[in-house]
Amino acid sequence: MTRKPILAFEDLNVWFGVRPDNPGFHVVKGVNIALKPGERFGLVGESGSGKTTTIMAAMGLLPSSAEVSGRVLLEGRDILRDGEKSVAPHRWKDIAMVFQGAMSAFNPVKTVGWQIAEALDVHNVARGAAAGRRVGELLELVGISAAQSARFPHEFSGGMRQRAMIAMALACEPKVLLADEPTTALDVMVQDQVLKLLVRLSQDLNLALILVTHDLAIVAQNCHRAAVMLGGEIVEEGSVSDLYHRPQHDYTRKLFEATPDVFAVARKPEKPEAKRTPAPLLQVSGLKVSYPRPRSIGEVLRRERPEAPLVVNDISLKIDRGEMVALVGQSGSGKTTAMQAILGMVKSRGGTITLNGRDVTGLGMRDWRPLRRQIQMIYQDPYESLDLRFRVRDTVAEPLRIHRIAATAQEREALVVEALERVGLTPAVRYLGRFPHELSGGQRQRVAIAASIVLKPELLLADEPVSMLDVSVRAGVLHLLDELRRDARMGILMITHDLSTAANYADRIAVMHQGRIVEQGPAHQVIHAPEAEYTKALLASIPNPDPDRRLALRA
Amino acid sequence: MRGAGYVWKRVAFAIATVYVALTLNFILFRVLPGSPVSQISRVPNASPEMKKILTQQFGLDRPLWEQYLLYLREALHGNFGISYTNRQPVLDNLVQAFANTIPMVAAGTILAIMLGLTVGVVSAVRRGSATDHLSTNIAVLFYAFPTQFMGMMLLIGFAGVLPSAGMSDPFALDATAWEALLDRLKHMILPVTALMLTLYAENALIVRSAILETLGEDHILTARAKGVPRHRIIRHYALRNAMLPIVTMVAMSLGAIVTGSILIEVIFSWPGIGRALYTAVLKRDYPMLQGGFLFITIVVITFNLIADLLYYKLDPRITT
Amino acid sequence: MSTTTVNQAPDSQSPYGFWPTLRGVLQQKTALAGLVIVAFFVIIALISPWIEPYSISEASCGVFEAPSRAHWLGCDDGGVDMLSLVLRGGRISMIVGAVATLIAIGIGATIGVLSGYFGGWVDTLLMRITDYFLVVPQIVLMIAIAAVWGPSLSHVIIVIGALMWTGTARLIRAQVKSLRERVYVKRVEAVGAGHAHIIFNHIIPQIGPLLVANTVLAITVAIFNETALAFLGLSDPTAVTWGTIMEHAFDRAAVSSGAWWAIVPAGLSVAFLIMGCYMLGRSIEDALNPRLKVSYLSTHFWRLRPLVGRGPDAL
Repeated sequence: MTRKPILAFEDLNVWFGVRPDNPGFHVVKGVNIALKPGERFGLVGESGSGKTTTIMAAMGLLPSSAEVSGRVLLEGRDILRDGEKSVAPHRWKDIAMVFQGAMSAFNPVKTVGWQIAEALDVHNVARGAAAGRRVGELLELVGISAAQSARFPHEFSGGMRQRAMIAMALACEPKVLLADEPTTALDVMVQDQVLKLLVRLSQDLNLALILVTHDLAIVAQNCHRAAVMLGGEIVEEGSVSDLYHRPQHDYTRKLFEATPDVFAVARKPEKPEAKRTPAPLLQVSGLKVSYPRPRSIGEVLRRERPEAPLVVNDISLKIDRGEMVALVGQSGSGKTTAMQAILGMVKSRGGTITLNGRDVTGLGMRDWRPLRRQIQMIYQDPYESLDLRFRVRDTVAEPLRIHRIAATAQEREALVVEALERVGLTPAVRYLGRFPHELSGGQRQRVAIAASIVLKPELLLADEPVSMLDVSVRAGVLHLLDELRRDARMGILMITHDLSTAANYADRIAVMHQGRIVEQGPAHQVIHAPEAEYTKALLASIPNPDPDRRLALRA
Repeated sequence: MRGAGYVWKRVAFAIATVYVALTLNFILFRVLPGSPVSQISRVPNASPEMKKILTQQFGLDRPLWEQYLLYLREALHGNFGISYTNRQPVLDNLVQAFANTIPMVAAGTILAIMLGLTVGVVSAVRRGSATDHLSTNIAVLFYAFPTQFMGMMLLIGFAGVLPSAGMSDPFALDATAWEALLDRLKHMILPVTALMLTLYAENALIVRSAILETLGEDHILTARAKGVPRHRIIRHYALRNAMLPIVTMVAMSLGAIVTGSILIEVIFSWPGIGRALYTAVLKRDYPMLQGGFLFITIVVITFNLIADLLYYKLDPRITT
Repeated sequence: MSTTTVNQAPDSQSPYGFWPTLRGVLQQKTALAGLVIVAFFVIIALISPWIEPYSISEASCGVFEAPSRAHWLGCDDGGVDMLSLVLRGGRISMIVGAVATLIAIGIGATIGVLSGYFGGWVDTLLMRITDYFLVVPQIVLMIAIAAVWGPSLSHVIIVIGALMWTGTARLIRAQVKSLRERVYVKRVEAVGAGHAHIIFNHIIPQIGPLLVANTVLAITVAIFNETALAFLGLSDPTAVTWGTIMEHAFDRAAVSSGAWWAIVPAGLSVAFLIMGCYMLGRSIEDALNPRLKVSYLSTHFWRLRPLVGRGPDAL
């Protein structure tokens, strides 16, 4: 390990919004990283930790409000010394980057091939027919056929777009590749493929890679070394094995604890079976849903109802009081649609839904309204699920007003306070008058949950309740759901794409794929002895926080 | 072919709109209480024979639905009746007036688009600079000037220097083709300038804000990371993507172009279609008014269709 | 929005609140200038009957008399004081503009909300209708209608109002459609709220600021159209508006007489009022548009912190 670093950050600091009268925000504080050729380095942190800003500084792509100090050395030369002038020549030629949202990172009106060829053109690598050949080679390198270069970004799937982005990043044969959350928006199986591709390319091309991510498991599986960032500082750095087995900093330990290990559940003792009652809380049998496209005026006049393919195809589920069932599936598997149908927001095309022994299939909006007290929903994005003009008090009280519960303002306030304390926002008076933007993500999600349980429902439907939250606050929200299940005996149907979360919290897991439930059973059984091929493939693609598991799985 | 459905939809919509305009025209001028054609007595200086001819021509002695069918049939054959004022077929009058309008309006509009694009792009990419402030404020000022006011100011300012009325010198009878062309161009200067100044401002403001919106897109950042030079980013990323809202909004301002050209033709006595419409209103020449309304509507619908197809050409994402 | 937008505020606060909007608007100099201009015109219109120096129906000086100390803005062809005319004309022009705008915004907002909220065939039908109105050249239709019904101020108001709503309808529809898809609207719906509850508590308050901006911008179009119709002789010839003042001047050959003062005061008044409204409306719209806050192609770059003077210690 005596090779000289290809890229090194030395005491890098970044401030935003510095003005003569304002010290600004110090968002990157004295970061030191040294990267050797061919090395894969993980930069882990939660939102706002400064990880993206750090690598943007190396690209010289910080906004004009930024002030930088320290050095970024490329093969020993400081590329920041003259500001934009000295960084610009290295962009893409020496340091290239893969952005998070590949959809918006491509110019939507130019073909993918054009955009890759442009990189070759502006750096004088190749032009004309030679450029065309090189574009083809690059695409083949990332597993896309050369013929696809004439297509537009929107014609690619998410995974393909990210591959094409990687191909574009490699166009000028850079020495360092910076990848900013390259797989965040992707499904776990696609994520696995993209990460494998990055690892392979780094090996084949001796490419140094910085992988910026919030997911420790991804780093553990794909990097040699990693640094954990918190509040702009690197709190711990070391080999992934050291970080996992011998974390020095509390925050690192906390992050690993919060990163679910899908196989940990197999080792946990089986949860006691929920007590069965004759009539289950929710019984879904043979549910079918399709999304009819909006009918044209002609079709309305001809009274035609165009048939659409089934999004949910014949699924059956049962949830008892005090039981948490996880519906696991990738995007497009139909899991959210199934939930919408259970909630009566989408019409079903077949099957029955029974709530508390009452058949609610095909009930109209008006008939549904009184039943909504029994069944409540928790949404994925706590930043979106609250009306930003409503104070916490009004958000939580709104369901009470809608259902005309509580005669007086005092009674209502008492119920609101009770709900807020139930979700752990204590003392409630501190939160009542706040607006959503004065709350953290975890607190917002708790407010949303309070607004659901204030009606004292029996069944909670939770749609990816933690996927938008930072890793360290996820556990808290999941524990809260677990408590509601145990103490308040609520039945919970949790939708998630994350088998690990499901394995750690749910009593039973149903795996959904292409509109069907391919496997259903107790959590430990689904993880431990999966039967469906799809479940097995899914399990194999989940990154594990234990770096040593990599060998076993990837061999 | 990609989006053939889209193209057909737009064409069908254009045709349907023409039909709606035809019907609206019929209702407006025949069915509504007090509508002029049904009250032939309103026709100025009409002899009894003339009234009889008109009654026959419009089928006023027959039931309404028959009148409607008759009207549609005649309209499809391009027969909009005879002008009350010069006793010529309306269509002939309109076509001739339109031929006079085209060079002036086309020149003014094209110049306005070119000027608007340039000013808008420069302001947007130098957002917040002195250039931006100056050119945006000037554009707002011109946007705010009523067309007729600007026209009259030009008239007062350039009276005697440049020809201010009509489109040719009525006394230059034995002019060569070249002289006639020069004379025509000279006559065009003022109206074209007035139209351009009226229209460029809105274009500049539209272009500026459309480009500002695209500058926040992630692909601009990718392009910068890729090392694409600034001018290339402006052209292939910012402007190219901003063209989509620009095309839509310029299409939506077709109405403003029509308004502007009518006012300018009136002010500069340009014998075009706008002035024909104006004269028809003054002289209560209803067949001309009706025909002019339909004619301009069809022209605008056609340009709207062109804009739709252009949008389709510009945006590869359109499929239906 | 992705996390690559490093220069974004950490909190993705929606701009659609009343106070954040107001703050964002008042931070802009343009908005303040616009507000001052509009307020000036509104005040003048309110007090004009008391400050008109001469009668607007009687001659008080000579034909096309040039501006003088007694008649600041000169006189028109009938010897009527121009200043008095412009003051009175402003009053009526602004009433016409405001009423026509309110009609248009009322129709547009209703159609936009219904279309965007309910979607489906309601949306298809209403938008088809809107598309027709959008394509038909309005000024020509106005001319036709005004010509059929005869010239009158109320016709002008109705015609402008009834034809100008399309832009508002499309804008509000797009906004409501995106609000309809917001998670919190879905959440409240799942709680059991009715359509009326959602529309009045969660949709309309959100589009309020945008509607205000749109109203202010629509006034410019209404006033513009009023002067155009008046110029073409389709407004009530006896009513005094900025439009009829200009039409009158043109008709009576003010241009060839070089009597610019018969045209300029009314023309500039229209221009300044439209400018004020435009600046104000535009500023509100800009404050509401989060996409304008980020630019990746700034002409300024990040700076290196000077090594001396202000180090980390200075913080």
